[in-house]
Amino acid sequence: MMRFVAVFVIATSLSPAQTTPPAHKNSSAGASDQSSSGAAHRATAPPALPSYKDLKYPPRRPIPIPAIESSTLPNGMRLYLLENHELPLINGMVVVRTGDLLDPPGMTGLASLTGNLLIAGGSTARPGDDLPRRFQGLGAEIGSSVTENTAIIDFSALKDNADEVLDVLKDVLTAPEFQQDRLDLAKVQLFNAIAHRNDDPATVVQREFTATVYGKDTPYGRQAEYSTLERIDRHDLVSFYQRYYFPKNVMLALEGDFDSARMKTRIEALFSEWNATEPPAPAFPKASTEGAPGRFLAARKDIRQSYFAVGQIGVDYLDKDYPAMQIVAEILGGGPQARLNRRLRGYVNNLTATAAASFGHPGLFEISGVADSFPTTQVIRTVLDELTRMRTAEVTEEELKIAKDAALNRLVFTFDTQLAILSRLAQYEYFSLPRDLTEQYQKGLEAVTREDVMRVSRDRLNPATMTVIVVGNPTGFETPLQVLGGAVIPIDLTIPPPARREAVLGDPVSLRRGKELLQRAQQAMGGADKLAAVKDYVEETSYQFAASAGGSQGTETERWLAAGSIRQDSVFPTGKLSVYCDGKSGWIGASQGSSGLNEVQLKQVQGDMFRVPFTLLLSDRLPSRKVNALDEDTVEISDGAGQVVKAVFDSATGLVKSLLYDAVTANGPVPVIETFSDYRDTDGLKLPFKVAVTLAGQKYQELTVTSFRLNSGLRIQDLERRP
Amino acid sequence: MTGRRLCTLLFLGALLLPAQLRDVEKKVTEFTLANGMHFIVLERHQAPVIAFHTLIVVGSAQDPGGQTGLAHLFERLAFKGTETIGTTNWAAEKKSLDDLEAIYDRMAAERNKGFRANPGQIASLEIDLRRAIEVAQSLEDRGEFERVIQQNGGVGLSCHVTADTSETSYNLPSNRAELWFLMESQRLTHPVFRDFYGERTASVAEEQNNLGTRPVALLQQALLATAFAAHPYRNPLHGWLSDAVNLRQADAKAFFETYYVPGNMVMALVGDVDPSEAHRLAEKYFGAIPAKALPPSLHTEEPAQMGPKSVTVWGNGQPLLVVGYKRPSQSNPADMAFDLLRAILSQGPTAWLTKDLVEEKRIAQTANAIATFPGGRYNNLFVFQVVPAPNHTLPESQKALDDLLARLIAKPVDAETLARVKNMMRGQIVRIMGNNERLAVLLPEYYATFGDWRKLFTSLNDVDRLTGEILQNVAAQCFVPANRTVAYYTDAAHPVSSPSGEKGPQ
Repeated sequence: MMRFVAVFVIATSLSPAQTTPPAHKNSSAGASDQSSSGAAHRATAPPALPSYKDLKYPPRRPIPIPAIESSTLPNGMRLYLLENHELPLINGMVVVRTGDLLDPPGMTGLASLTGNLLIAGGSTARPGDDLPRRFQGLGAEIGSSVTENTAIIDFSALKDNADEVLDVLKDVLTAPEFQQDRLDLAKVQLFNAIAHRNDDPATVVQREFTATVYGKDTPYGRQAEYSTLERIDRHDLVSFYQRYYFPKNVMLALEGDFDSARMKTRIEALFSEWNATEPPAPAFPKASTEGAPGRFLAARKDIRQSYFAVGQIGVDYLDKDYPAMQIVAEILGGGPQARLNRRLRGYVNNLTATAAASFGHPGLFEISGVADSFPTTQVIRTVLDELTRMRTAEVTEEELKIAKDAALNRLVFTFDTQLAILSRLAQYEYFSLPRDLTEQYQKGLEAVTREDVMRVSRDRLNPATMTVIVVGNPTGFETPLQVLGGAVIPIDLTIPPPARREAVLGDPVSLRRGKELLQRAQQAMGGADKLAAVKDYVEETSYQFAASAGGSQGTETERWLAAGSIRQDSVFPTGKLSVYCDGKSGWIGASQGSSGLNEVQLKQVQGDMFRVPFTLLLSDRLPSRKVNALDEDTVEISDGAGQVVKAVFDSATGLVKSLLYDAVTANGPVPVIETFSDYRDTDGLKLPFKVAVTLAGQKYQELTVTSFRLNSGLRIQDLERRP
Repeated sequence: MTGRRLCTLLFLGALLLPAQLRDVEKKVTEFTLANGMHFIVLERHQAPVIAFHTLIVVGSAQDPGGQTGLAHLFERLAFKGTETIGTTNWAAEKKSLDDLEAIYDRMAAERNKGFRANPGQIASLEIDLRRAIEVAQSLEDRGEFERVIQQNGGVGLSCHVTADTSETSYNLPSNRAELWFLMESQRLTHPVFRDFYGERTASVAEEQNNLGTRPVALLQQALLATAFAAHPYRNPLHGWLSDAVNLRQADAKAFFETYYVPGNMVMALVGDVDPSEAHRLAEKYFGAIPAKALPPSLHTEEPAQMGPKSVTVWGNGQPLLVVGYKRPSQSNPADMAFDLLRAILSQGPTAWLTKDLVEEKRIAQTANAIATFPGGRYNNLFVFQVVPAPNHTLPESQKALDDLLARLIAKPVDAETLARVKNMMRGQIVRIMGNNERLAVLLPEYYATFGDWRKLFTSLNDVDRLTGEILQNVAAQCFVPANRTVAYYTDAAHPVSSPSGEKGPQ
């Protein structure tokens, strides 16, 4: 029955129906009255009913723009204060100049994770404190949101508890802890979100549209994947935080029941010790305006309707054509009276047309909706037809008036609370927009003419090169999308599966920087040649396991040959164990007997061999290896065969401060951090004599080197000999 | 499902009410017209806008037998217009709509003949139908009602029908307040349900799509149908498919005549409004509407549940668990205890369900609770929803839930948690006071439920008096197997047997 009705509806409604609403009821009934019995007159309504058209209104009440006090604190933070004594509340937001656009390549998701963990990950100033619990107990709310070009913490406190809430805010902003278990949980939640990101077709079509139009491999179009998230360690959050969260890069806006002068003093005192400085945040990358002409289809057998989006790159707020573009969108799809709503009524739900501008980069012009499956292609064609009509014929005065009235009258709602006013004005400053942007926009709207609408449609919108995305079941389409002309490119929604951590690709700049860092480390240790001259070593250590890992002690002797073999002899309270490997295979055992290394054990030892400093830190000499700088102090070294390690260097000395890698275990990879200290001179080389090991964020083991002998003339037999 | 609940906001003692909140309370005025229509007006002059809200005391619980889905269909019919709004020629349109009905009548009569029905006749009637629909649609000024609102700067136009109420709202710039009075009075007295059958079809399609893409919706439907044997809460909001596709315009008209009567309506205006002007306009536009008899109240009561129930829905999505416990209606004094329990179990970062099942045991991806489902006017359900984590099972989730509830019953909630959650609610309600739209929704809801909007403020005392022991008693009485219905969503290859020994239908 549905399909039947749909066919019928197409037959009548897809032909360009008259779209002119009757200018005057009394005279135009005939234009649309197909069954006119000749009497083109209005029925007389019950005489008592007044008409909305006869209403006279008092003038629009002005929007009160309050006095907002703005200042800059001694440490560079911008502060905005707006008093509002209506309720015992204080609302606020912290705006940091960063965002998803500044995610390092290969680590999409880092900006968001950092922003979220700032409030969920605890603060070093309040160790062990459960901040979400504390906030809830104070009747306060706090939330974090990171967009492509902002990172915002917004919060709301009851006046009685405002002092405590501000204290906590300062602690998370200036001394976040990024607790490992909270990071792990956040990652698990993000993984779940990735796993389910294709569940809702409405979300899928929006995501694909945005990514396709901006470019999937650009900062505007890329999305977090398992691989990008897996690569992110706590260390990366700390780096990102340090780079962008500093006073000169931060704005604080407060609105509510306080006295401005007292609050300003309070805030200054609160942040008086926060004096971190960094170079200014880099400019956000520019968006490509090329767009992505074409038709794209994500085939989904499991949904009964087609979710579509048609559009292209739009404008930003300062574009002189922005008001006219708004009117174009309004006329096309702004409400039930709009052109597309009328033509597609009955078989498209949720039809919307938006010319969303953005701050700092062009937004998207988009027409979207949910169509019955059968007429999908006809629906798309109708959308493209109407876009073409906008370019070739002027709209009517009536349509123009309706659209302008709606947009102008609605403007008051942008500023319907004091907090909304404050936040908008803070945004204007953040994006260096004129304070009177809204007034300018209002004037712009008032001035739009029919000619403007057509001109803007012709110059700025081109249906022939728009992006069309459909998420639906093509076997249900009456006609295939191909009849619209051109190829239909399939979208593969498959989610790239989680894999072992992969090395970042790197670019010439980061590769060069990586080499520099490595070479600096070589220098700091005594020189590349001295490192290369080490042909064997015997290292004796004693170690202590952390209480949570058993608390026992032991000793170990490690022997290594540069030719490519390693032997580890360990002595535990309960016995001895030896391991040998030549890079390809080996054995493990004790005096009672030994067996070949199984897969997990082999991988573990191969990892150990990879990380021997005398070869690891000379990776720039090995063509099979990549040394890629991830930030100012960190490089990622990989051998293309699955071994990956991050080395963090001490920025003052250049020496290796820690190594981060995934240890192989029977239950899967486990993140390990080895931190080095007590560097001592050993035959002209600086080598670390203390190592602290954490496993999955927990303290695991402390090692103390008791002796380190280099080039003592070891022979392979010394290593190979079974216990 | 949770959107419109009053529950979360009731909690703050008048003793603890800061002066500012008492000031807000003072700015509320109300009046009742002779015909029984009630108005609540709250003045807030922070911005030149007004939030308007209309509440009709009718929901899907009032759907007549065989016409489930009818109350809900009004969501789509609310703004279709009147004899003067939304038409290009009422006389001609009325005739075409009557013709349309006549064809439906003849089709129904033909189909009623059962095996004697003439398929040729039906096919020919279907062609007539198409033509009649075309004619009727051509006489519409489609979307005029909404266009007028939008053109005058209206935003947030929405209509929402639940199991208990039918509510409409939108906001206007304050200088256009009179428009609301005109439009609202006309649509509530002279509505025309144009394009009824188009909306009926679209509504059905939307719900089928919803059920097809959201297994939790399917599961909730099964939960209600199983938990309630007799009471209309057992029926889905959108109605059973076979009912929904057979709804007739005459059904809607009769429903409207019965339930959309002045004495059954509560309106709220919140914002930049002058109460005496509002009163004047209310009299001008609504005063002449004649009073009508109040609708009959629902007499069917759900009989006491005699033992645990369960139901299984098979499908291909990820497994889901939904559990409902029978609980009394909002008018029962324990109502607030349930809201507080829900906040402790399910709200915010310290919610017990999240802490226990998601973070500590890591057996669930999400776990939450709903205090009142599907509505609060009658005895209803306290619901838990759990999505097991990958590689974890439904029985695990159920056991963890049972253990958590056992904890709740064994020991009173500790003072720290109580204080913390009460404080959280205190914060929420203070925030609500600054939100025109939320206030416009809540004031009529309180009035309709309790007879007095002041309860929005005074109930705060009652909740503040709730102790750990009281909560423990409420939990002990409610969260027992005899009250429980368990609904599983799972795939046929992995049948579920509950850890407490009940076997769901496999």
